Amino acid sequence: MKRLLLSLACAALATAAVCAAPTDNEVAARRTALEVAGAFGNDGFKLRDGNWTGLLEVGKPKVIQVNLYAGNQYWFTLGSVPAAKKVAVTIYDEAGKAVEIDPYEEGSVAAAGFSPATSGSFYIKVEEVEGAPAAFCLVYSYK
Amino acid sequence: MIWKHRPLAGCLAFVCLCASAAGQAASLTPEEIAGAALTDGLSIPLPGEFMAALNKIGKLDWSTKFRPPIATNFSSRPQTALNVGGLIADGYIAIEAEDAQQVKNIGKDVIALAKVLGVSKDVVERASSIASFAEESQWDQLKEELEATQNEVKTAMTEAKDQDLVTLITVGGWLRGVEVVSGHVAANYTELGAKLLRQPGIVSFLNKNLEALPEKVREDSSVKIARKKMSEIERFIAFPLEKSPSIEDVKQLHKLASDAVKEISKKQK
Repeated sequence: MKRLLLSLACAALATAAVCAAPTDNEVAARRTALEVAGAFGNDGFKLRDGNWTGLLEVGKPKVIQVNLYAGNQYWFTLGSVPAAKKVAVTIYDEAGKAVEIDPYEEGSVAAAGFSPATSGSFYIKVEEVEGAPAAFCLVYSYK
Repeated sequence: MIWKHRPLAGCLAFVCLCASAAGQAASLTPEEIAGAALTDGLSIPLPGEFMAALNKIGKLDWSTKFRPPIATNFSSRPQTALNVGGLIADGYIAIEAEDAQQVKNIGKDVIALAKVLGVSKDVVERASSIASFAEESQWDQLKEELEATQNEVKTAMTEAKDQDLVTLITVGGWLRGVEVVSGHVAANYTELGAKLLRQPGIVSFLNKNLEALPEKVREDSSVKIARKKMSEIERFIAFPLEKSPSIEDVKQLHKLASDAVKEISKKQK
């Protein structure tokens, strides 16, 4: 019975996580990310209609795997809310080694430009360098 | 807020010229790599990204990549979902070819299949904008509209607790993209082009998702085909970083993807 209840609780939590609507802070973080990413549109970058949201805390970075193609250029843009005083984006190759990027950082916004020489998996690390726990949203553009 | 970022566009070029972070950051730990998130919405590239990369290698006539129209009345929902994905990839091809009529035809077929999946309402609204963008040759806007359509279908599937079908839409689109790109690379082989086919993270992510489908969905004959072909495809897509696949490997990959797409779009008896 205990096991059944535990399973049900886990299932309910999992469902809540999957179905949870974005919070107001996540919506605000997304708006910030899109405003900044919109600037790359002037250079012919196409914004992908997808995003990754969550909560950032100093000392607790988050990492997502993406697949990039050689020949394309990319901008990864991280937006947060003012509670985050400074955030950063770093890109790593599939061995986990940091790659050279064009960085942009301004308070609760950061972006990293990158043109991969090889196609394959890369990792994007988003982190809060300074500030209180804050919602974040990562988007990317390519051309 | 908009005003705050208005000067950004001008500043970015300067910032980028002045500051280039030369990878001083520490490497990721094995735990960070193993724990990295993978999401359908960001980790799996769109067919348009794949095609953009292919366009950089040389001029190609995308209209030669069209395929004959497929059925739009499949009897199984999993097969319908796989074909929605394939058709959306066809939409990207038609946009690259700048063929308005083809875009409109594919848009109609996507809606017909979406109706079977019960998600037509939102998508039908998109259809009229797809048609008008096509008539006005607004190709960039069309790409955005097509991507939004795909996301809307997937969101509707998720809301209807049909998450399994989201996986199948992604797999269907990815297979059609691989078919087209590998076919082009096989016919115009260069080592550079062949290296574009390297996508180890995606194929293992999609294969894991396929294996995690409920048994009833996994046993659908179209899904069985997709699973079988995807596991065979993995070894051709997950080649080492420093290696270029041979022309024979690329041809083999093209055959696997092509067979998968054909079988998936065949009506089940």
